[in-house]
Amino acid sequence: MRVAAKKAQDNKSPEEFEIRLSGSGGQGLQLSAKIFARAFSDEGKFVAQSQSYEPTSRGGLSRSDLVVGQGEPDYPLATKVDFMLILDQLAVKKKDTAIGDGALVIIDTRLVTDPPKGNFRVLALPLSDTAIGLGNPRVANIVALGAMVGEGNLCSLKVMETAIRQCVPKKFTDLNIAAFQEGLKLVSEKST
Amino acid sequence: MAKASTKTNAQNLQGNNACALAAVAAGCRFYAGYPITPSSEVAERMSLELPKVDGTFIQMEDEIASMGAILGASMGGVKSMTATSGPGFSLKQENLGYGVIAEVPCVIINVMRGGPSTGMPTRPAQGDVMQARWGTHGDHQIIVISPASVSEVYEQTVRAFNLAEQFRTPVVLLIDEVIGHLVETVHVPDPASLDVVDRKWADVAADKYRPYEAGKDMVPAMARPGDGYRVHTTGLTHDESGFPTQDPETVDRVSKRLLNKFDPHRKVIDHFEELNVKDAEVLIVSYGISARAARGAVKQARDAGIKAGLFRPVTIWPFPEKALVKAAKKAKRILVAEMNAGQLSLEVERVLGRDRVSGVNRIDGEAISPADIIDAIGKGA
Repeated sequence: MRVAAKKAQDNKSPEEFEIRLSGSGGQGLQLSAKIFARAFSDEGKFVAQSQSYEPTSRGGLSRSDLVVGQGEPDYPLATKVDFMLILDQLAVKKKDTAIGDGALVIIDTRLVTDPPKGNFRVLALPLSDTAIGLGNPRVANIVALGAMVGEGNLCSLKVMETAIRQCVPKKFTDLNIAAFQEGLKLVSEKST
Repeated sequence: MAKASTKTNAQNLQGNNACALAAVAAGCRFYAGYPITPSSEVAERMSLELPKVDGTFIQMEDEIASMGAILGASMGGVKSMTATSGPGFSLKQENLGYGVIAEVPCVIINVMRGGPSTGMPTRPAQGDVMQARWGTHGDHQIIVISPASVSEVYEQTVRAFNLAEQFRTPVVLLIDEVIGHLVETVHVPDPASLDVVDRKWADVAADKYRPYEAGKDMVPAMARPGDGYRVHTTGLTHDESGFPTQDPETVDRVSKRLLNKFDPHRKVIDHFEELNVKDAEVLIVSYGISARAARGAVKQARDAGIKAGLFRPVTIWPFPEKALVKAAKKAKRILVAEMNAGQLSLEVERVLGRDRVSGVNRIDGEAISPADIIDAIGKGA
């Protein structure tokens, strides 16, 4: 039996983008990616999410990628990311060819001491310090989500909040929503 | 809870989880396995889903026992499955051969990782293509399927069960680590809407039943336990009665029936995708995640004015040779893209000859990218 080939797709449109969330194991990057995936698919987009991590529960390079578009992508793995988060120096490569030209790269001021350099915009934000201020350093990943959505205009805030509520443990819902709001504030303060 | 999701039935599902859900939807009610990266999520999900449908999940002591258990369950009348990765697949080979000669329907999931031996547990590879074909000893046929997306994992898992049941054979689903762990937005079909095939049960009078006597379709009917039939099952070469024989004439007859069993059914078994093959001067042959890279590369090459095409076997064994010959008619070059040192390319060379065929290979634990294939297209131009 012959199956129909997928229709030809145009080159990357603004509706198609790639995101990379990187840092070290235990920082909640896989959860952040899951929240993103949930939000994008709730908006009717198609998401391909892949991950790479080392066989330790904490520490080691951890990375989660999303390829977002209107239908199943030919290639589901990220090749040139448009939006990147770096939460640990471990995830900084000297010459990172996976970061696309003009990409937005958000890094943590405290944990990333030597930012990547290239033909892209690096935005250093106190993500982990903000999380510590909220009483729990572990929500830095959610502060980061707020900053990425706010600065990159990636999806509707309401849909993001719903996705956060669906993906985080119930007793931490309020903390995570607060972290998301603080992340949004970090970038709105910056632009005013 | 998720209003937007339930409306369209769209959900973000991992390849391994899609496999487990599809297995249950296809009627699988018995799972035995020994968890191994990168296949463990199949076992985990089966352990959650099977109790909901009164199925049985057993975590066995090892892969050998798991393979034995699913054969036993299937002979007991229940659709069964196991999941593993390379090292475990090696261990299953002896019992897999028993499944072939005793004609026991079952599904084996192999989520491929780097090898040989324990290799690289979390890194992808497509190194088990030849093992899936020839891993168990002796001349035999087997059906092997390689899906290239999460939605296809679902479809092809259902199909794997259907083929196993229809043709009384073990069916291997070769998934690579990338597809197994990839999460994609999929529309999971309503299980009630699926075409689910059940094996042909014996319905002749008990004293007339010969367990391995087949009609024109070459597939013998199975005896349902409890229906009063007497059955003897063995790994020894047996005649139509099911009892061992070494009579040359009989052995030749029953062996050929088993070897040629799929021949009348190739239209159902063969499955492939073609993209821009009609006028293709460069034809990429690829499967699994590598075929997704090839799909992107073919479109990029076309944009650059190169007549590239993709032939993607979904059923890789038996190999769809007739369709490939047709697809390769105008091709000056054939590039076989796979995450191994060149396995399916041997089969492509067998079918098309060696002159036109070369490989695009990666064995470094990284997936082949569209750029890798574009480079290879450029090099020969």
